[in-house]
Amino acid sequence: MTTEFYTIPGQDKIMRAHLGETLMGFVVLAFAGLFLAYALGVAGLGGAHGAYGLTARFGEAGGLQPGAKVTISGVKVGSVSAVTIDPKTFLAVIRVSMDQAVQVPSDSTAKITSDGLLGGSHIAIAPGGAADNLKPGGEISNTQGTVDLFGLIGQVMRPHDAAPAPTPSATPAAKTPAALPDMGGQ
Amino acid sequence: MEAGAPTGVIGLVATIGRATLGGVAAIGKVANFAGRGIRAAVTPPWYPRQILGQFMAVGFLSLPVVGLTAWFTGAALALNIYSGGDRFNAETVMPQIVALGIARELGPVLAALMLAGRVASAMASEIGAMRATEQVDAMVTLSTDPRRYLIAPRLIAATISLPLLTLIADIIGVAGGMQVSKLLIDLSPSIYIINTIDFLRSWDVESGLIKSAVFGFIIGLMGCYHGDHAQGGARGVGRATTAAMVSSAVLILAADYVLTSIFARL
Amino acid sequence: MTQTPNLAPAKLEWRHVTKRFGANKVLDGLNLSVGKGRSLALLGRSGQGKSVTIKVALGLMRADGGAVLLDGVDVTHLHERERRASFAGIGMLFQGAALFDSLSVWENVGFRLINADGTTRREARDRAIEALALVRLGPEVADRYPAELSGGMQKRVGLARAIVGAPSLLFFDEPTTGLDPITAGAINELIVDKVRSLGCTAVSITHDLTSARMIADDIAMLDHGKIVWHGAAADLDHADHPLVRAFVTGKGDGVE
Repeated sequence: MTTEFYTIPGQDKIMRAHLGETLMGFVVLAFAGLFLAYALGVAGLGGAHGAYGLTARFGEAGGLQPGAKVTISGVKVGSVSAVTIDPKTFLAVIRVSMDQAVQVPSDSTAKITSDGLLGGSHIAIAPGGAADNLKPGGEISNTQGTVDLFGLIGQVMRPHDAAPAPTPSATPAAKTPAALPDMGGQ
Repeated sequence: MEAGAPTGVIGLVATIGRATLGGVAAIGKVANFAGRGIRAAVTPPWYPRQILGQFMAVGFLSLPVVGLTAWFTGAALALNIYSGGDRFNAETVMPQIVALGIARELGPVLAALMLAGRVASAMASEIGAMRATEQVDAMVTLSTDPRRYLIAPRLIAATISLPLLTLIADIIGVAGGMQVSKLLIDLSPSIYIINTIDFLRSWDVESGLIKSAVFGFIIGLMGCYHGDHAQGGARGVGRATTAAMVSSAVLILAADYVLTSIFARL
Repeated sequence: MTQTPNLAPAKLEWRHVTKRFGANKVLDGLNLSVGKGRSLALLGRSGQGKSVTIKVALGLMRADGGAVLLDGVDVTHLHERERRASFAGIGMLFQGAALFDSLSVWENVGFRLINADGTTRREARDRAIEALALVRLGPEVADRYPAELSGGMQKRVGLARAIVGAPSLLFFDEPTTGLDPITAGAINELIVDKVRSLGCTAVSITHDLTSARMIADDIAMLDHGKIVWHGAAADLDHADHPLVRAFVTGKGDGVE
């Protein structure tokens, strides 16, 4: 290559002299462009391309990380895409991306469940019975946060220290129905 | 070594001193060359046809090699996270690790290294050959400043092209990672993408692009400097070609560390 | 040592110019002048600093000492930009023609017009084709690239590039080296012809005595970084300097 390859007789000549590379250049550009368009479509429009986003607010999202799975009846139907904090209410805002094929009734409940003592957490959705489904970008309003296992154990073992100890888990979010999380739920 | 040069320990110390002085002198020369090059690049007159031609040669024609590299890098990264990362459940964050690795580090660095091999060497050999055949002198006698006509367009094109190539590499790298995650853990592409986009901060990508602008300048600078200082005919041009490639690769990796540590403190 | 062979005012003058590369003194107080409208051939054996003499005059190399005067003005310490501007009236034919590989023939010839004078490409092309005609090359070569041309044709293109701006001073670096005698003769004729018709001053460096006799009014002999003989071309045969005699007879006896 070198000299002969690199000479600059004006772009027209370069393109003629390196037809193969020029074509490949366009192929690469086209590929990147299409993929970007696809990605932005998926992220921006939600449902249109096989996945849609939902949000859920939790009082305690301990241990939940982006990438964690979302299950219904123990089957993976999506994953956690972002964990952020709402600066006004201090609730954890969890964004999940759901498989397009799985539509969730609007009164479903989302619960953060531990994979085990040392494992990560995931979100389990218990479908409700409402006739209408959540729309892409919608919010699962019934939630149950993480169970603070060690806090609970501590409470059981030394009930007198209970006062200053952290309230077991989930400061229930506004609409969370259950005050005490159900440990044996899974 | 001249006659009467000291021997033994003194001689060794003298040799070290001489090498150090030589190194300092070389740094000074490169810095001087860079300063004059930048001045020529940012002040008129410009030669638009030359600049455009360099954008073609440096940027557009590098797309295939950068694209392929990025794809394989993203795919291999995902594969490594799968096979090595299962020790701590890392495969659940495969999209995030791939995105972070590509955008912050591998995209800029690998695209730059590919360009160091492809472009820095070509610049050195072209300018070196022009020096050897008196074309650079001829240009001066034709009232044209070689620094503006030859050096500045290469510096401009390399500095601007590489961030653009890196952006493309970032996109294609993510696509490569997505392909592997679909094959290995059957992660739905849309979930992969949503995870990637939700996770990435704009700074992840921006810091990579800032790095690659610096890398691009290094590539243009080393290509032009070694070409301009080629001596001794065809063999000298060959040496300059190798020197341009090696020195830009080393400087890219050094600059990568320095910039990354600066960014880490921001 | 030398008598000034003409009384015309000097177009170009070297005054006690020195240049060294490391320990090697290439020019050692060189004094030389070329009268306006004269053609000077600088003779000398290989490696005696002929090219350096020209490059110092052109400012492609910086002299260590002494001065170069162009039209009576010291140009030794000109700023780079002023020096490039001073090249407007100067043309140079390089030894290997030094055509730009990446540019077509007409872009080579019109290089100064396009890149320094701001002429439009269309007009530069027309003027380049005119200049090519002056060196007896047809318009069909205009769009070819230097690599597709023979050595003689490259020299012609180089000459066209040197004269396209109607310079008042022309330099020729070994114009016939590497050419067969017939092509060399044609190039010599062209040089003589162009220098005459432009009425310009010419400085050629060569070790080809035939070429020197053809193109030069005056001849200077360079040896060990100094001018050892300077006179009219016609006086060359009567010169008594041993080196000049050796050049004329082609015998190296008596010259160290």
